[in-house]
Formats: sequence, C-alpha cells, structure tokens
Amino acid sequence: MDDFDDKEIATLLRLKRHEQPSPGYFENFLHEFHRRQRDELLRQPLWRICLDRANDFMFRLNLSRLTSYPAAVAAVLVCAAVISIRIYQEPPAGNMAARQEAGLSLPVERDAEWTLASPVAMRVFNSKPLRSWNKSGHTHLRNGGTPPRYVLDSVPVSYEPTFRF
Amino acid sequence: MNRPKPDEDQELVARTQAGDASAFDQLVIKYSPRLYGLVYNMTSNHEDTNDLLQDVFAKAYKAIRGFRGKSSFYTWIHSIAVNMTLNFLKKRGRRFHMSLDDVDSSIQSDKEFLELTARSSPVREADLSELQRRLNEAMMKLSDEHRAVVTMFHIQGMPHAEISKILHVSEGTVRSRLFYANRQLQNYLDEFRKNPVS
Repeated sequence: MDDFDDKEIATLLRLKRHEQPSPGYFENFLHEFHRRQRDELLRQPLWRICLDRANDFMFRLNLSRLTSYPAAVAAVLVCAAVISIRIYQEPPAGNMAARQEAGLSLPVERDAEWTLASPVAMRVFNSKPLRSWNKSGHTHLRNGGTPPRYVLDSVPVSYEPTFRF
Repeated sequence: MNRPKPDEDQELVARTQAGDASAFDQLVIKYSPRLYGLVYNMTSNHEDTNDLLQDVFAKAYKAIRGFRGKSSFYTWIHSIAVNMTLNFLKKRGRRFHMSLDDVDSSIQSDKEFLELTARSSPVREADLSELQRRLNEAMMKLSDEHRAVVTMFHIQGMPHAEISKILHVSEGTVRSRLFYANRQLQNYLDEFRKNPVS
C-alpha cells in the first residue's frame, strides 16, 4: 500500500469544505445576530448609549476629515485663555485711584526697607529737605516785628588768663 | 471558493459607515458561510463556531467605522475571525469535543471526491467517513497557528499572499508552516492506515 502523498492530503482537506451546519442555519444566523445586538444594547448603561449616539453624530458630520479642525479648536482655546487672563488681570476703576495714592506714599516706606545688601545705585532718595529753598538760614525773620537780639559771652576770650597755677 | 468582488464590499462598507444597518446585514449574509468554514475547521465544534462567528460580526460592526480601506474588507474580516478564534483556542486549551464530523451529501457529486475514490489509493481502501474523522483528529493535533494556515490554504483555497496579510506574517512563514503541517498530517494518516483500529 502506498502512503498518503501531499496531493491526496490536500484533496482530503479540500473535501472538508462539505462539512456544513444543519440546513437553515445561515437563514437563522442573521436573526440571531440581530437578537444578540438588541440584548447587548439593553444591557448597556445610559451613558454608554449617549456616548455612542454622540459618536454617531460626530461621524455623520464627518469632522475627522476636516484637517484644520484640531488647529481651529486649539486656536479658539488659546484666544479664550488669553482674553480671560487679561480680563482677570485688569483692575476695576475704583481701585485704580486707591492704588495711585498708595504709590505716592510708597517712597517714604521704602527707606525702612533699604538695607546695606541692596545696591547703592538703586536707592531712591526721596527724603524731604528740612527747609524750602525760599527760606533763609536765619532763625528769625529779618522783616519781622522784633529786632534781632545778640547775646555776648559773660567773659571774653581775651580776658582769660593764659596760665593758671 | 471564489473571492467576493472588492467593489461590492466597498459600497456595502461605505453604506454601513453612513449608518445603513441593512448594508451590514448583506455583508453578514455574504461572509457567514465562508467564515463559518474557517472558524469551524479551526475549532471543530459547532457551538463554539456559532458563538465565535456571532462575536466576530459584532466586533466587526463596532469597528467598521474605523475601517479605512487600507486592506480589503475580505482580508479585514478574515483577520478578525482568525485572531478571535486563535485567542479563543488559547483560552480553551485542549478541552474540546468534535461536534460536527459528518460530511455533507453534496460531497458525492464533488469532482475531486470522485477522482479520489476512483483510482487506487489509500483513500479508496479506507472508509471515507472514518478517514474524515481521523483527518479531523489529526487537524486538532496541529498547533493552532498551523491549523489556521492549513484551513485557509487547503480548505478555503486562499493564496499564500492573502494568508500572510491575514496573519501578519511573511509568505515564507506561511509556506514553512504549511510544509510542516502537511508532514504532520501525513504521519498521522499513515499511522491510521497501518493501524486502522488504533
């Protein structure tokens, strides 16, 4: 007896395509498929169904083919972010006056904050002069009602003895 | 088996993607007999094949929106079926029983069957149904990957290139798996012919 050769094995294997399920199986297969799909749909939670519907809607809009869509979304988001930051940073009108007042009194307080560690060039000398330039260095007004008064020492320097024993 | 025309599939796929469920029904009707043969010859169990085939089409329906047509629908659906069946077989392990080893009555009019039984051969000497049963057993002794290749090439009649696309392996790998599987099947069947009662 001969052994099985490759050709005979291949032929035997091809005959296996005659192994078929019972008649009517493929007619019922589609009904079974629909039934399983309905059962699966009923088992799904509501949020999943909503998500699927949203996906369907997006797919029908065909947004994925719009290549500039992600860039447009990104641009809108960036613009919104910049505008919102500026709106939050801009102070109200009432506060502006208060801030200006605070700015005028600030140099007086800065002296207290100044330390040796800070650079000398950066120091702002805002101390007020003791006298205004219009005022003279005399203690009394020249044109005032009382005349100037001069006080002499009780003993002049020339009268003091040179040597004392 | 003739390969379906890709143009028809493209149109049905496009209609399904647009939300026409009846178009997918046509794809199910078209591909279920072919995929049944593929899955059954890998599992050798009718109930498992039925469940797997339902899961294959359910998965395909969910994923068809992501199908961009880089491969044909034929290749895509076969790839899903083979991968799901291989995963199922890994989980199932060796726990299985054959539920369908009867050949259809149409085999009597098959040209290849007539040629095979007409000339003097080991097939003629052995009872055909018993031989088919032994062949199924021999098939199940192959590894899952080898059985997949044998099923697609010998039973489904797919070319090497198509099998390599479906399995995502090279054509050389497909050929080497086929060669090894043929040797294995030959050894099993020779053993049966020499010791028919075993």
